[in-house]
Amino acid sequence: MASFDIQMTVNGRPVKQSVSPHLRLLDFLREELHWTGSKEGCGAGECGSCSVFVDGVLMKSCLMPVAKAQHSEIETIEGLEEQGKLNVLQQAFQKTGASQCGYCIPGMMMAATAALRANPYAGREEIKERLGGNICRCTGYQKMFEATELARDVMNGKLTIELLKEEKEEGPFIGSNSFRIDTSSKVTGALKYAGDMVMPQMLHMQVLRSPYPHAEILELDTSEAEAMAGVEAVVTHRDVQGIDGFGVFTDDQPVLARGKVRYVGDAIAAVAAEDVLTAKEALKKIKVRYRELVAITKTEDAIKTGAVIIHDDVPDNIVMHIPIRKGNVDKGMAEADFVIEETYYTQPVEHAYLEPEAGLAYLDADGTLVIQSPSQNITHHRQKLAKILDMPVNRVRMIMSPVGGGFGGKEDMHYQGILALAVLKSRRPVRYVFTREESIIASAKRHPFSIKYQLGLNREGLIQASKIHMLADAGAYNCSTEGVMRKAAILAAGPYAIENLMVDAIGVYTNNTPSGAMRSFGAMQSQFATECHLDLCAEKLEMDPVELRRKNFFKEGDETHTRQELGSVSMLEVFNSALDLADWETGISNSRGATRSDLAQSGNRPPCTLGARQFPLETIPTGQAA
Amino acid sequence: MNAPLRIFPKQKRGRGVAAGWYGIARTATIDRAGAWAELDDGGTAKIITGVTEIGEGILTVLAQIVADELGIRPKDVTIGDNDTARSPEAAHAGATRQTYMIGNAVALACREARQRLVKELAQKWQVSEDDIICSNGIIRTLDHSQSMTMSEAVQYCKNRGVVPVGSGSFTANHTGLDPENGSGNPWQAYVYGAQVAEVEVDTETGEVQVLGVWASHDVGRAVNPQGVEGQIEGGVVMAVGQTLMEDYKQEEGYPTSMNLAKYILPTSLDVPQVNSVIIEDPDPLSPLGVKGIGEPSMIPTAPAIINAIYDAVGVRIHSLPATPEKVLAALREKRERADTHEMLA
Repeated sequence: MASFDIQMTVNGRPVKQSVSPHLRLLDFLREELHWTGSKEGCGAGECGSCSVFVDGVLMKSCLMPVAKAQHSEIETIEGLEEQGKLNVLQQAFQKTGASQCGYCIPGMMMAATAALRANPYAGREEIKERLGGNICRCTGYQKMFEATELARDVMNGKLTIELLKEEKEEGPFIGSNSFRIDTSSKVTGALKYAGDMVMPQMLHMQVLRSPYPHAEILELDTSEAEAMAGVEAVVTHRDVQGIDGFGVFTDDQPVLARGKVRYVGDAIAAVAAEDVLTAKEALKKIKVRYRELVAITKTEDAIKTGAVIIHDDVPDNIVMHIPIRKGNVDKGMAEADFVIEETYYTQPVEHAYLEPEAGLAYLDADGTLVIQSPSQNITHHRQKLAKILDMPVNRVRMIMSPVGGGFGGKEDMHYQGILALAVLKSRRPVRYVFTREESIIASAKRHPFSIKYQLGLNREGLIQASKIHMLADAGAYNCSTEGVMRKAAILAAGPYAIENLMVDAIGVYTNNTPSGAMRSFGAMQSQFATECHLDLCAEKLEMDPVELRRKNFFKEGDETHTRQELGSVSMLEVFNSALDLADWETGISNSRGATRSDLAQSGNRPPCTLGARQFPLETIPTGQAA
Repeated sequence: MNAPLRIFPKQKRGRGVAAGWYGIARTATIDRAGAWAELDDGGTAKIITGVTEIGEGILTVLAQIVADELGIRPKDVTIGDNDTARSPEAAHAGATRQTYMIGNAVALACREARQRLVKELAQKWQVSEDDIICSNGIIRTLDHSQSMTMSEAVQYCKNRGVVPVGSGSFTANHTGLDPENGSGNPWQAYVYGAQVAEVEVDTETGEVQVLGVWASHDVGRAVNPQGVEGQIEGGVVMAVGQTLMEDYKQEEGYPTSMNLAKYILPTSLDVPQVNSVIIEDPDPLSPLGVKGIGEPSMIPTAPAIINAIYDAVGVRIHSLPATPEKVLAALREKRERADTHEMLA
């Protein structure tokens, strides 16, 4: 591709460079100028992490060809500081604790800056609208709204700048809102995530992934790809020297497919080349001949007799079954005044951390293999890699780079092994940065559950027996299924004293995207069923759902469902304090109608996106400062 | 600024509540974490432990713990990065275990380092080690008769040939579950939470808006209350996403929601106001009394919203997410049931 000359101003400094026309403005800033503060979160203008100002206008730089920025003035997150100090908005983000993982923050800071430039008196609703094109997965946005309002008021002289200072200079510090020690690195864009890191001689890796949910690999020929100029290594399962296989609980997943693929997105081969484009071209030259197999995509099909086997050593497709038994459930149900049944379903969910997976791997001078990646479990990954590569464990060095959101999704080692093979083969540093699409199809999801719930209660609302049967889709590999089933089972029956109990949590292999660890790890699913079911029971018993819960809560000294004696139990106190905070009005659900007195209080937000706008934006026109 | 009252408002509001519980750190197995500490030049501290921020605020939490253990300030604390070749094992960043496991390991390491320093000063000042306190960068005797800065104290130790270092190893002694009946002690610290959700349901479009969430959580001891709130707000909003919109779809094994245009996440326009209250019931089995909040923050949200939808419009959604289509279908079914009932009556 013919290159052309581009001229622009970036953060006040003139830039003139010859560039390839395929670059987007984001690529130019990050890869050519090494302004890596602007992040790529989706490459499609959906998340806003790449937001910059182009001639004063907020733009998503992943959607803009660099040629469009010819002769423009660009402002990035790195240009926000004033004389080397955090500006008011940055200080306000620090004051309110508005940054967590930090990956969305550069884009969010630019959007908040744009909001206050557009209207220095913007109200909460307008601020929300103006931040609406930027996604944050960590904070719930609330502290960002507060930060923007705080900055607005300080800039308008309504509040003093003293308010932006840290609340405590002297100890004790536990119990105080000390500033997050990572904030300034995040609000300035200075922090380097794995995908921001570069090394001399670094190669770029791309991965060939399965287009089929279940298929045998009859032939895998990489010779043409290997012969390409610029390709430094092509790796397949044949490059694994040790014992292949990784997983959080069992090592059922090969680093690269061995004779079979088990889901769409399963990694088959990888290319490390001088640049990403060459690596992508080389992937097309890899010849794979498949024989499609019957794919199992429903959990109930996976456990049928004679079902297709997904992993040879697990002929019944059951990854893990955790049973909990206590008392006599049949007797408890028989003696109950009411037995209430329902089935609940939860869907697979994507972690959607704003930072797609990325890693930079290289050899230390002494031959130690180093992998820097946002891994949530480097201890475990080091052990697995040493076994897979047949290397002494102290010759494998894992460094946890800053994590741009994890939520459990970065506990699986699903690319670090491929990077290792590419480094060992090419003897050069190799970087691999996932696209959003790759991250979504290749990484594990929250386990979808179907939960059959049966609860026996007496007339007073005391639980007599509980029977909970959970079937979860583990997808193609175990990942954390064993642990998720365990936690789901232990916590399923909720914080309630129950004498007779029968809980089963069963995770089964299918040819769907693997399920793995995700925040709340099975307990979110199982307790969703419990808490919905208790309200259903309250309806049948014509009771206040609050009273029903209070009657059954664990107390100090009670035995849990796994027969552990509990010490102090804060459940009732916690429950009452939530109701007090909300000014909860007691009564039976859906019976109070419009008479319910606790609705529409100040702890609510106005419903701003429902149909036609009901509330005008709370703004003060420019020039009419309060 | 309320909307004008309609005679038959198509939007209906309701409230729901749900409770939840959770166990802290690794489940049904022995958990452990290690850390090293050094009281360093200038009265600063260097902490080495296998931990990196995943966004939850752990580095800040550790800095606050170190500051209180050593009598210095959080800004005087340097925390080494997570590197298997340079730092002791702290194991994984997950399971709501960072503050509990690593916080306690770091506190133990600091206590050992501090003890090394205090021993030298106790000899110099001819007092018992128990009569020495450290706070705000000053080390002194209880009776205020002797004092020096932490910076001077470190130098004094070094001049006597002592580097004030310490190490800490913290364990949570969990037991496995019986394979037949599941009995066992999966955790030593439990936390409890409860949330109220208020929703508005549009009976014509089926759209649900969560307007407010009132959340109460026991965290043992809140090291940084603002950080705890941040975890609650983030957890609630992640759960709002799962309850109302997020859905990773596959057709016969082929993914169909492969980007953020198809996979819908909550934006700033979808989120409720989250109102938090923090309850502190300290863990008696660990040095600091802390527990955790990362995961438990999102347990009660989904059922509280679903229960609120029922309170608002009298339909129960049993399958997540509660999309407008599902809510409308349930409302239609409810209407048809009522019509049939009327016809029969």
